[in-house]
Amino acid sequence: MSSNNVPETFSIPVGPLHVALEEPMYFKIDVQGETVTHVDINAGHVHRGIEYLTTKRTMYQNVVLTERICSLCSNSHPQTFAMAAEQIAGIEVPERGIYLRVVADELKRVASHLFNTALLVHLTGYETYFMHMMQVREICQDTIESIFGNRQDIGAMCIGGVRYDLDEKSIAYILSQLDRIEPEVHDIIKTYKSNGSILRRTKGVGVLTHADAIATGVVGPVARASGVDYDVRREAPYAAYDRLPLVVHGATDGDVWSRAMVRLQETLTSIDLLRVCLRDLPGGAVNINDRPDIPPGQAIARCEAPRGEVLYYLRTNDTPQPERVKWRVPTFMNWDAVCFMMQGAKVADIAIIVNSIDPCLSCTER
Amino acid sequence: MSRLPEDLKVRLDAVAPAGIEFSSTVDANGVTVAWAGLANHGDLKSVGQLIHELGGRLAMITCTQPSAPEEEEEDEDEEAEEGAEAKAAEPKETPKSFGGTPLDGTSYEIDYHFDIGGDALTVIAYVPQGGSIASLTPLFRNADWHEREMMELYAVVVTEHPDPRRLFLDQSVDNAVLERLIPFSTLVNAASTKGLWERVLSNANKKGAA
Repeated sequence: MSSNNVPETFSIPVGPLHVALEEPMYFKIDVQGETVTHVDINAGHVHRGIEYLTTKRTMYQNVVLTERICSLCSNSHPQTFAMAAEQIAGIEVPERGIYLRVVADELKRVASHLFNTALLVHLTGYETYFMHMMQVREICQDTIESIFGNRQDIGAMCIGGVRYDLDEKSIAYILSQLDRIEPEVHDIIKTYKSNGSILRRTKGVGVLTHADAIATGVVGPVARASGVDYDVRREAPYAAYDRLPLVVHGATDGDVWSRAMVRLQETLTSIDLLRVCLRDLPGGAVNINDRPDIPPGQAIARCEAPRGEVLYYLRTNDTPQPERVKWRVPTFMNWDAVCFMMQGAKVADIAIIVNSIDPCLSCTER
Repeated sequence: MSRLPEDLKVRLDAVAPAGIEFSSTVDANGVTVAWAGLANHGDLKSVGQLIHELGGRLAMITCTQPSAPEEEEEDEDEEAEEGAEAKAAEPKETPKSFGGTPLDGTSYEIDYHFDIGGDALTVIAYVPQGGSIASLTPLFRNADWHEREMMELYAVVVTEHPDPRRLFLDQSVDNAVLERLIPFSTLVNAASTKGLWERVLSNANKKGAA
């Protein structure tokens, strides 16, 4: 405090390493006393030029490459890329294939949402519950590892369908694992609604108003928690989502707590969707069992990744390599929203607010 | 049942006097994907204004430098690139995009992907090499990062951008990185093991002298 009792203004660097996440992002934050007055974001620490690389690989190699853009939504990238290629080539994915795509997608969503909400508890300082939540998430990770052989890059997608199949035994196994996860998620929601230390640190913190959410063009749970009722799975259905009992969750407060609650409720919906998928799983082939040439053309494709809408633009020519592949992930817009959320926030809440957009940098910078 | 207005083409024509090349498809789930090429990229702002009024959300901007369409038979200019390139044997017609931008492999195609209530509308602007395009950031706040990224990856000039700083690349890197071949050794700052060592050594000498 200066002599006349007006808090002094400082500029503090936050990052690039460790701001609630394991990926580098650098914030220049102006503070007056304890209060944030301005945020400037400096990106580019993990820019790898993958967009260029895609034009040097064949269409089929790119399914493998796009899976490696990011680990938490590693399934959404190859799926959206494959959907764009299927549109251009007019490939119809077999029924069993599109159901299995949903199964892979929703399992990843459960794991991703539980990871983010667990990290939030960690940032509020409630370490024992953080470890408990990671243990619950571990049930889902175990399931993913048992079914796909990998914990993160599950290699489930291919152009024309999926690369894995489920039998009676593995279906029963997934269902039994879901039965273990579901009551735990109900418990977690109860804790989020009642625990004082979680509520104090997250309620009314990092508010993104509805108007700001529209202006920044955010998507996914960040948008839905601010009252933007949009989910690609309902608005532009793909795979089997048009015939599944999808419930889109929303909130209106737009604070850190609402974003976490949307994610937890979506986790329960994902479990419901998985059960229906596994019950209704049609027979037949899981993919087209062919690698046709993709003719020249252009297409866009969209998916609802755990963090929101992923958009792919694909342009092909006469060669096996695509002419241009461009994609945009949810976090790309969500960073701008962070600047709004941090206005007037306390320095101690910076990490909690950054975590609440479920940031993914390797996706954003490519 | 499309969520795009039924008279979208008429309304686009009204705000883009130079002309619109419009097409759209509807998939099995009833999702419309529409494409609108602009004859004059100067119409982008008024088209953006219309989409803004329709409640559209800017989802992504893609900049590409489409390669020239393959020539039919002859492929003789492999070697003769140096001098004779300007006026080759017979004046061959350069293929042109809708609106007349030459498709010679150096011009840009900028795709603005919008979402209107779940349906997709892509507005395509063709910009010749050395040309510029108006910024959509004043209308759509999230165009900011897309346009900054576009300016560092290509030599496109975005006019009236409120904050045309670098986004991902450092100031020390020249722009238009996707238009140049950068050898890997240059990229990683070590043309050879010796080259890196020499740089370290000369830097050390400089420090010692000072």
